[in-house]
Amino acid sequence: MDAAIQLTGLAKTYGRRRGLTGLTLDVHHGEIFGYLGPNGAGKSTTIRLLLDLIRPSAGTARVLGLDPRADAVALHRRIGYLAGDFVVDGRQTVRECLRFLANLRGNGGAARIGELAERLDLDLTARIRSLSKGNRQKVGLVQAFMHSPELLILDEPTSGLDPLVQHTFLDLVREARAAGQTVFMSSHIMSEVQAVADRVGILREGALVALDSVEALRERAVRKVEITFAAPVSAEEFTVDGVSDLAVDGTVLRCRVSGSPDALVKAAARHTVTGLLSEEPDLEELFLTYYEGGAGHAA
Amino acid sequence: MLRNVFTKTLWDARRSLLGWMIGTAAVAMMYASFYPQLANGAMEEAMKSFPQSMKDAFRLNDMTSAAGYLGANTFGIIVPLLALFFGASTGARAIAGDEESGQLDLLLAHPVSRARLLLERFAALAAGSVVISAAVLGALLLIRPAAKLTGVSAGQLAAQCVNLALLAVFFGALAICAGSAAGRRGLVFGATAVIGVLAYAMNSFGPQLGLEWAQKLSPFYYYIGGDPLRNGFQWGDAGVLAGASAVLVCAGLLTFTRRDINT
Ligand SMILES: Nc1ncnc2c1ncn2[C@@H]1O[C@H](COP(=O)(O)OP(=O)(O)OP(=O)(O)O)[C@@H](O)[C@H]1O
Ligand SMILES: [Mg+2]
Repeated sequence: MDAAIQLTGLAKTYGRRRGLTGLTLDVHHGEIFGYLGPNGAGKSTTIRLLLDLIRPSAGTARVLGLDPRADAVALHRRIGYLAGDFVVDGRQTVRECLRFLANLRGNGGAARIGELAERLDLDLTARIRSLSKGNRQKVGLVQAFMHSPELLILDEPTSGLDPLVQHTFLDLVREARAAGQTVFMSSHIMSEVQAVADRVGILREGALVALDSVEALRERAVRKVEITFAAPVSAEEFTVDGVSDLAVDGTVLRCRVSGSPDALVKAAARHTVTGLLSEEPDLEELFLTYYEGGAGHAA
Repeated sequence: MLRNVFTKTLWDARRSLLGWMIGTAAVAMMYASFYPQLANGAMEEAMKSFPQSMKDAFRLNDMTSAAGYLGANTFGIIVPLLALFFGASTGARAIAGDEESGQLDLLLAHPVSRARLLLERFAALAAGSVVISAAVLGALLLIRPAAKLTGVSAGQLAAQCVNLALLAVFFGALAICAGSAAGRRGLVFGATAVIGVLAYAMNSFGPQLGLEWAQKLSPFYYYIGGDPLRNGFQWGDAGVLAGASAVLVCAGLLTFTRRDINT
């Protein structure tokens, strides 16, 4: 089967400004794809290209097997989209706004309005102008999910949401996957993506710098290790592959290990080990190394 | 009310549209109601010393007949300029306004093509123009006996109001066309208003400056040049305004469907 989203050498320049520099990426049917990157990396640019709001400078995109430009109307029927900054006319009520958007979609567009509003604790009778930022974002979420689209394209969906609602949102995303829907979501926050995504792409300065499953990223991530020995050891012995931030304090060694801890374990094995502590790998840190342009493994 | 972009646009604009209707109709009624005081020749007397060229420019040669008075006064200055500003502001909002505020992204991510969005917004603008002109017509018909304006028939008034609606539609189409290229509301409104005022001046002063051809480029010429208040429906002039609007909308479609939507 075709990929849900298929990007080949997709590039976008805004005048002389870089937007995106040749992105090749497949998003599979039925997966949750996390799209991460620092400010200005090109996440929103990618997403707006998928919706034909902007046109590529080079390369092609296929979404659900269709051309975003030529088949825009047919495609948009099958997509739910939440913009990075969701704006609607503030003078209408939430219900009015959602009804109208549902009508644009025709049959079944409004199927889930009531249920979603209840789960997100959104007041349908409120005027949009009177809503707080987070509550306005909920309106955006409802309109994206309400017609159970095949593909959800969400640009920073959790911005402005409180932790409780974020949790509900992650549930909605998981349910969407269980129902066979595909989710493409951008974010700045690794932890929320890590919690639901099957695969993650990390974008930096308009190019993909990592593309992998969450599992694989985890294996590659930096973890903190603390080893206690029976007798004092010297630091030199432990400057091996993958070890950084090494600190030896008498019998206690603390360091960070990226990738396989094999070399460290073999070095330690020459001594009597009395304690070993290894923390859950911190994807946030891996993510930061990519952000800062550190030595990430390019995809 | 919320079935499509056309009805939604009208529904969202209901308050402002009501304001335009009442405002324009009230202004037209007020000007028309001065006719009895001025028709006795007092006005003619006061303007005797005015240079002939100025009288030509502002259609002041016949201020005693009802048609002359209405053409110079009510339909000569304030009402068409209101129509211009209605068209410019509504047309600027149609594409550029929503684009600038970021609302266009959401609409266009729905199963609504860019062409359809533009056409429905234009249709709403045209409907608004018709409603405002109808209000003006209604107000004048209402006041016609009391203001001693019975020298102009209902049909002649309607003929002028048809052209009034088309004038608003024309400037709306111009603003939509400009907004299709540049998604900046203030700029689009300003440019349309400036062009409108220049076109007004061109129609009024063109002949005095020896620029008859320039007068014929002005939409105001097709709005009132054929003198519908005396001659009734001017289908040729109306056709020019409608045709020019259609051309502007088509040009707008071409640019709008090709370009990036700004954030
Ligand atoms: N309309 C535009 N005109 C000029 N440059 C633009 C435009 N839109 C985006 N850019 C540039 O393209 C680059 C990518 O922007 P984009 O909005 O895609 O980033 P992003 O990853 O979504 O960032 P954020 O996390 O802040 O939302 C940025 O350098 C930005 O300045
Ligand atoms: Mg963004």
